[in-house]
Formats: sequence, structure tokens, C-alpha cells
Amino acid sequence: MATMLEERIGGIGPADLVRDHEVHRSVYSDPAVFRLEMRRIFGRAWIYLAHDSEVPNAGDYVVRHIGTQAVIVTRDKDGAVKVIFNRCTHRGATLCAFERGQAPGGHMCPYHGWLFAADGTLKSISHKQNYEEVLDPADWAVTRVPRVEAYRGFIFGCLDREAAPLLDFLGHMSTTIDDLVDRSPTGEVLCSPYVLKHYYRGNWKMTFENLNDTIHPGFAHAASVVSAKHVAEEVGGPEHLKPTLGMMMANGKPISFFQQLDMVTAPGGHSYIGGHMGADYTPDTQNAYHAALVARHGPEKAAKVLGLDRHLMLLYPSSTWHARYQTVRIVRPVKPDLTEVIGYTFSFPGAPEETRINAIEYCTGANSAASPVISDDLELYERMIHGNAWGDQEWIPMSRGVREDRETTNEWTRQPSTSEGYIRNQFRAWAAYMGRS
Amino acid sequence: MATAELLRPEPSAADARARREEVRAFIEDEARLLDDRDFTPWLALFDEDCRYWVPVHPEQRSPADGVSHFHDDKQILMARTHRLLNPRAFGAEPSPRTAHVVSGVRIERDVVGADGEGELVVTSSQIMLEYRNRDGFENDLRMFGGRVTHTLRDRGGRFTIAEKRVDLINAEAPFNAMLAPL
Ligand code: FES
Ligand SMILES: [Fe+2]
Repeated sequence: MATMLEERIGGIGPADLVRDHEVHRSVYSDPAVFRLEMRRIFGRAWIYLAHDSEVPNAGDYVVRHIGTQAVIVTRDKDGAVKVIFNRCTHRGATLCAFERGQAPGGHMCPYHGWLFAADGTLKSISHKQNYEEVLDPADWAVTRVPRVEAYRGFIFGCLDREAAPLLDFLGHMSTTIDDLVDRSPTGEVLCSPYVLKHYYRGNWKMTFENLNDTIHPGFAHAASVVSAKHVAEEVGGPEHLKPTLGMMMANGKPISFFQQLDMVTAPGGHSYIGGHMGADYTPDTQNAYHAALVARHGPEKAAKVLGLDRHLMLLYPSSTWHARYQTVRIVRPVKPDLTEVIGYTFSFPGAPEETRINAIEYCTGANSAASPVISDDLELYERMIHGNAWGDQEWIPMSRGVREDRETTNEWTRQPSTSEGYIRNQFRAWAAYMGRS
Repeated sequence: MATAELLRPEPSAADARARREEVRAFIEDEARLLDDRDFTPWLALFDEDCRYWVPVHPEQRSPADGVSHFHDDKQILMARTHRLLNPRAFGAEPSPRTAHVVSGVRIERDVVGADGEGELVVTSSQIMLEYRNRDGFENDLRMFGGRVTHTLRDRGGRFTIAEKRVDLINAEAPFNAMLAPL
């Protein structure tokens, strides 16, 4: 399979693994498909790396990933952000062992002390005279991620020199990043250093297929609804439930409710669905927040900002965004059947404290491996990997809602949130990335 | 508890031993109730305004600092344990079986307020083995461990839990589904 895929012997290429309404199960587990995804998808798409506020000062760095490759995101002396591979060019040792830190003098390899600047330039070699003229330091810079662009403080990297600009990649989805930033009464956005990670023994695409799936909660998370109802009885009625339990209850909404909501898909595999958590701030917060946003944006735009309620924008293939809950998640493929999901929360200086707490509670509920909801999803990802490993059913249908599109423009298509249109859209992007050699 | 707090009068060696024994038994019994999946009496150990907290970083001072693995009040604990007994909770199907090993129970603080109500801070080292009997799944035996800090209220011979904080030694690591409270 490996060589067939990579060399197209016999005319079977990766794009042949995707049909209009079906996908071949090997895309979730085949190591050859995974290797090719790392090159052709993660090697070509813009990948969200970090927020400006995580590297505020010269020398600050964080370590992130583009596919399976670790990169160091450093603020250099001139305030620019540089992204290089986290790998020494001498014998390959990892340069930065920590997820975040400060390296104002550059990144020194702990093995033989080669020293690299933020942009990867090899600044000094230990015992240099011994190399004679055989090794020219100019040839041994750490690989630099060739394209780094930011949109409103969110830093993306791209390994493809020829890629279209970040704005083209974001397309209509930039409005979700606007939605997040516009919620700050000062325009300032801060990323919390406390992050929440889970992993599962399943494929990275499963998270993308799950997060906008509005049919599964009523089944997969049914027990959470039952448990929340049980607590409601114990505490004297649903009005006494805490918001977190309200979130568990929300999984019990009927399919007819989700059928009315819109799902918006866009070229590149991106999508989002209409808001449905139905959670509001307490009246005091609501008023103070509204006033703060009016002061910044004026009444019209403030109402628009607060009124926008999108649930989970998926920025294919590597991040998911929830503006209302000030949370961004990075989906990080590790192996065909191993994926890590990292949740970051953001706060807005000048906004009521409740908005920050809300983000923390949402992210804890939505991204902790201990979350009663997420633990169901993680279990099901693993069951799918197991079930797809045997038997003779090779193709997986993705045809739900196939004739239900509501409206299409150049930028997006609107359909019921119950449709699997977003999965078909993801695989259209997948096939386009993968089919291009 | 009331703000004015007094250290208990310096106890005799025998009293100190007895106190430690009493506290150790409480901490061990609490863990045993979890292993026995005896959740109703387990929940009853917790105060109404309790907090059950597993931070994502050893230096996290408060759950308001940022996200947590677990940040539960009594309601969430109720829902969590109800789920563990509900056969349709897929993440808990089959439900995890656990074995806690409790060691090094130490009373860090033992004070009594002007109102006569006592407050204790107790630390222990704990390891929890967890197993889910999923046919054919690898790595279904897992191990969690770290320092557990209990803040207890002494209600005249009966302890209740105001806060249970679990500092996992791998707090910053990614975790797969965690169903059983530690
Ligand atoms: S491996 Fe980095 S300096 Fe030798
Ligand atoms: Fe789910």
C-alpha cells in the first residue's frame, strides 16, 4: 500500500480514496496515507501556531508543531516572529526541551553547544578551527519555516513557499477570528499559560469530523443528559443546575432543533455551525460587557459582536475556534492512530471577569480528558479505529444531508447543521491537497 | 470557619499519634469507597460547597488561574459518579475498576476556629491503578499518581472534605479519557 500510494503504481493515488459520498477506511489508519498527509496537507496548509501574547518579549519562545515536526516560535530582537525546526543541524538533538521559555541569546544545542539565532542562523560552532574549511556555517542553519504570517495577533506558519497568503487560506473563516478579537473591549487578547491537553488512539481527522457533528450528542452523550437530569432531581429542579451541567443537558436537544441550525462550509475544508449552547452571562456581566463594547465599537457593532453565536469553527486541518467561549484548540497528529488536542483559553483586558471564567469552564468541559462529554468522544474514536481495522467493508459513507444545501455563494455553502456536508467538504480539501504531487 | 483561629494546644505524643491515626483512617477509607464504587457514602463525605480539583500545572494556585483536568463542585461530582454507574455512558463502558494505594499521610495543619470548628490540611502520596476491561484494547491498565491535599473540616469527631486537590506528577501531560475520580 505504501509504495502504491506514494508512487501511484497501478494508477491508485490518494485522491482515489475519496468518492463524492464515501471515503476509504485506510485514510484513518494507513501509515503510508499518514506520511503523505504530513507532506501534502500539513506541508502545504497554513497551520495555527501561537498567539502574539505567548511571546510578548524578545527572546520569548514556545514550541509547537507543524504535523509531526516540532518548531520553535521565537520573538526576535526586532520584534518579528521567527519559526524554525526544533532540531540541531549538527547531530539532530532537540534544541528546546520545554514548551515555553526564554532564549534571548539564541538557541544553544545542549550536546556540543552549537548556537542558533531565532531565525535559525548558525551563530557559532564549538571547536570551530577543527572543521577547517570543510564546513561553512552558512550551510548549516536550522530549517526555517518559510512562511510566517499573523492575522490579528494569531500567528500561522506554512512550509509551502508557494502557498497563497494566509488571508486567502482563511477566506470567510477570518470572520470567526474577527469575532474572537472584536469581543475584547480594548482590542487586546491574552492567551493563558495554562493549557489543557487530551490524546486519543485515533486519527486526527476524527476530531474534525466529530466537532461539527450535531447528530451524535443525543446518542454518544446521552448518559450525560441522564446524569444531569438525575442531579437536577437531587437539587430540586433544573433551575438549580450549574452552567457546566447545563452544558451536559444541552446534548439532549432534539435533532429537529439542530436541523434548523445552519452549518456553513467553505473551500479548504473549513466549517462552523450556528450557536446552540444557549448560555448567557449573568445580567450584571451582560450589562457591563455590553457597555464596554459599545465604548469600543459603538452601539451597532457592539450588538453585532455580542449577537454573533457560532459554535466551533473548524479551520482545516489543524485548529478549532470558539469565539464566544474564547477558546482555540490545536489538533496535532502524532501517528495514524494517535492524536493530541491542546486547548488554549484567551482573556480580554477590560472585559468582566466572568468572561474569563466562562472561557476556563468551557475549555475544561470541552477539552479535559476528564470531561464527562469528551470522554465519550474519545472512547468512540478508539472504537472506530478498532472496527475499521478488520472486516471487508472498505468504504465509509458520508452522505447524510446530501441534498439539503440551503444556499451557496462564492465564499461558502449553507446547509442544515445535521448534514455531513462538512465532512464531504473536508474530504474535497483532503483530496485536493493529497492529489497534487 | 471563623477567622480567628487557634492552634490546638500542643498535644501529648499519644494524642498526636491518635490524631494522626484518625486522619489516616479517614483518608484511606475515602479512597476505599472509590475503589468499592460506593459513591453515595463517598459523596456524603464532601461538604455542600466542596471543591474537587486536579490542576494542569503544579504551580496553579487556584482553579480561577486557568483550565483544570477536574474542577468539580458537588453537582459535577454527583453527575460524574452517576455516570460511572450508568451502563450507557460510553466513556465509562465498561466502567473503570480502580485500586488506590495511600501512603505517607501527614497532617500539615490542624487548627480550630473561635466557633470551635476545626480545619485540617492533610497531604498524602497516592497511586491509583485503573483498568477497563475492553476486549482487545491495548494499555487498558493505567497508573495515575501524585500528591493529594485534603482540606478537612473537623465537625466534632466527624471529618468532612472541603477540598480535595490532586497534583498529578504528570499534571501538564495529555491524558486519555479519565473517568474515575482519583
Ligand atoms: S547535536 Fe547539537 S551541537 Fe551536536
Ligand atoms: Fe461529542
